[in-house]
Amino acid sequence: MFYKISVPPVADVEEIRVLEWHGDPGHQFKAGDLVVELETHKAIVEVRAGQDGVLRKVLSDAGNWQQIGLPLAILSDGGTEALPEDLNAIADLAVEFEIT
Amino acid sequence: MTAEEAKDALRSMMLIRAFEEALAKKPDHGFQLLSTGEEAVAVGICSALSLNDQLLTGGRSIGPALARGCDPRRVMAELLGKSSGTNRGKGGRGHLADPTVGFFGSHAVVAGNISIAAGVALSMQMSRTKSIVTILFGDGAFGAGALHEVLNIAATWKLPLLFVCNNNQLSVSTPRATALAPKNLSDIGLAFGIPSKTVDGMDVNTVAGAAGEAVDWVRSGRGPAFLECMSLRFASHSTTARETRSKAELAEVRTHCPILKQAAALRTAGIVDDMIEAQLNSDVADIIGEAIAFADASEYPDPAEALTDVW
Amino acid sequence: MSGSFTSAVKKLFFREAIARAVREEMRQNERVFVLGQDVGAFGGSYREFDGLFAEFGSERVRDMPVAEAAMVGIGVGAAAAGYRPIVSITYMDFMMLGFDPLINYGAKLRYKTGGQLTAPVVVKTTAGAKGQGVAHSQCIEAWMMSVPGLKVVAPSTPADAYGLLKAALREDGPIVYVDHKRLFPVAGEVPFSESFVPIGKANVCREGTDITLITHSYMTRVALDAAKLLESAGISAEVVDLRSLAPLDISTLGASVQKTGTLVTLEEGQVTCGVGVEVIRRLQELLGPFPAERVGALPAPVSSNRVLEEACLPDASRVAAVARKLLEKKQ
Repeated sequence: MFYKISVPPVADVEEIRVLEWHGDPGHQFKAGDLVVELETHKAIVEVRAGQDGVLRKVLSDAGNWQQIGLPLAILSDGGTEALPEDLNAIADLAVEFEIT
Repeated sequence: MTAEEAKDALRSMMLIRAFEEALAKKPDHGFQLLSTGEEAVAVGICSALSLNDQLLTGGRSIGPALARGCDPRRVMAELLGKSSGTNRGKGGRGHLADPTVGFFGSHAVVAGNISIAAGVALSMQMSRTKSIVTILFGDGAFGAGALHEVLNIAATWKLPLLFVCNNNQLSVSTPRATALAPKNLSDIGLAFGIPSKTVDGMDVNTVAGAAGEAVDWVRSGRGPAFLECMSLRFASHSTTARETRSKAELAEVRTHCPILKQAAALRTAGIVDDMIEAQLNSDVADIIGEAIAFADASEYPDPAEALTDVW
Repeated sequence: MSGSFTSAVKKLFFREAIARAVREEMRQNERVFVLGQDVGAFGGSYREFDGLFAEFGSERVRDMPVAEAAMVGIGVGAAAAGYRPIVSITYMDFMMLGFDPLINYGAKLRYKTGGQLTAPVVVKTTAGAKGQGVAHSQCIEAWMMSVPGLKVVAPSTPADAYGLLKAALREDGPIVYVDHKRLFPVAGEVPFSESFVPIGKANVCREGTDITLITHSYMTRVALDAAKLLESAGISAEVVDLRSLAPLDISTLGASVQKTGTLVTLEEGQVTCGVGVEVIRRLQELLGPFPAERVGALPAPVSSNRVLEEACLPDASRVAAVARKLLEKKQ
C-alpha cells in the first residue's frame, strides 16, 4: 500500500518551508519516528509517522515551500513495490505533528 | 572652584541677569521664561561640564544656554525671532540649541527632553566616549511619567546621564508641597539606586561643588546621578503668567540673590573689590549691548522659510 | 532592476524579510541598533528579529521594559546624536504612548533647530485586528500622515517589507514603518541581491481598467481578493498598494484613476479623517471630480470577540459590493 503524507493543518498557517527530512528514500520509519521538520512563520513543526512505512519519494525537498494540505512525500508498507503512475490517487496517511 | 573660576561664575550670573533684563525691556520680547534668581543653578552646573558634554533643558533655557557658552548675540537674535539666531529664528526660547558648544538644546514640553537626553547619553555610551549628558528640569517636571521611566532605564543601563532638578518650589501656581510626595525630590534616586543629593541652589559654589562630584561619578561609568538644587524664582513663571506670591513674600525671596551672595563672598575672600566689580559690570554691559545691537540689526526670516527644514 | 542576476528571487516569510533588512543594515552600519520588548534572545514577538541578538549582542539588540514613551524618546535622542535606531513597538495601539517624543520632538527637530539636528529613527510597529481586543487591534497610521516632518510607510508583501525597511533605515528623519499581524503568515519572493523600495512610490499590484482600488498593508490582500470577485462579475479592477502613506505617490495614484475613472479606497482603520479620504481629496484636486467611495472598519472599537471583529473589518465581498454599486451609480 502506498500512502502520501501532506502538510498538516497547522492553525494560522498558509504555507510552510520544508526544513529537514529525517531519512532518505528507502528509509524505514517506525510509528512515532520524526519524518520531517517543517518551518512555519511562527515555529517548527515536527511531523511524525502515524504508522510504520518506507519513504519512497520526497515531493518537496528541504528548502522548498508547500501549502497546507498539499503532498510532501510518498511512503509504502514495503520497500519494493513500483510507484504508481498517478500519485494523486494515493491515500493520505494521517500524521502526528508537534509544534516546537 | 578656584578664585578665577569663582569670579567667572559671578560674571556668568551677572551676564544672565543683565541679558534677561535687557530682553524684558524690549517691547517685542515675546513669551519668555526667565531665570531671575536661579542663575546659580545654571552657572554652577555648567562650571562642572567639559567641552564635549551635552546639556539639555526644559523651557527655562536662557540662563542655561548662556551659562553653557552659547553666543549671547545669537541667543538674543533667536529670542527676538531673527534668522541670525541659533535656530534661524525658528525655535525661540523653547527650543534654543547649539550642540557645537555643548548645548544640545531646550525643549518646551515639560519633561519632554528627559528621554531625549537619555538617548543622547546612550549614544555616548555606545560610542565609548568619556562625555556625559546633563538633563536640567524643574520641579514642575518631577511628576511626569517620563522622568520615572528614564530614571529606571538610565540606572539599569548605567547611562552617563546627570539628572539635575532645579527645584524653585513652584510650578506656575502650584507649590511643590501640594503636588509632589517625596520629602526631598532627590529621594527618588534611592528607589533606583542612583546616588542623589539635595543642595542649596542659591549658592553657586555649593552647586558647582556638588555638580563636580556628580559629574565625576557619571563620567566614571558607574551610572547616572541625581542632583536637586533648591532655588527661588524672583518673578512669575513666565512673562505672561500671573504672580501668585504676595509682595511681602516676593520681597523676602529677593533677599536671597545668588549674585549678591557671590559678590559678597568674593569680596570677603579678597577676590573682588569695587574696581573689579565695576569691570565685570562693564564687561557684561558691553556684551549685552553687542547682543542687542546684533539682534536689532538682523533680519526676520523670509516667510518662505516657513517651509524649509521640515523634511 | 536590470540584468538577469538581480531578478533572481528567494522565497521568505514576512518576518524573515524584516530580519534580513535589519541584519543587512546592521552589518553595514554599526550605528543601527534595535530597541524594543522581547527583541533580544526572544527574537521579537513575531520572530521578526530572529538571529540578530546572536550576531550583534545585547548592546545593539536591546530589550527594554514596557515604557514606550521612554523607549521612543531614547530612540529619537540617540538618532539626534548620530545613531540609527529601530524602535519596535509590538502593538500599534501603544504608539500613542510615544507620540510626544516622536511628534513633538522627533518630527519637529530639524525645523525647530533651524537644520542643526535631525532624528533618523525608524519606529516599526505592528497594526491590525486579529482576535486580541479593543486595545490591541488598531490601525492608526492615518493619524500620523498629517505630521509635517514625519514619514509613514506600510508594506503588504515580504518583498516590500524588506525593501521599505532598508529604505527607511537610510532616511535622514523619523519614519514610521507599519506592518500588520495578518501579514506575518504570508510568504513571498524577495530579490536575492540587496535592494531597496523607494519611499514615496506606490505599486500597481494588479492591472485593470474599470475601477481603481487604492489600499495598503493587509487590506491589499483583501483588495486583491475583491478584484477576483469583481472579475467573475465581468469587472476589471486595478489594485494599487500605497506602500508610502506620507509622502503619497500622487503621480501613480492619479494615473490609475485617470485611466479607470472610478475609485474605491480601502483601509482597515477608520474612514473618518482616514487614509482614503485624503487620497480621494488629493486626486480630485489633481483630476477634478470623479466617483469615489471609501471603505474601512465600522466606527466602533474592534473587539476580540470573533463575531464582532469580523463584523467590523472590511472583507472582499464588502469591497466588491461597494465597487459594483459605485459603477452602477455611474451608469
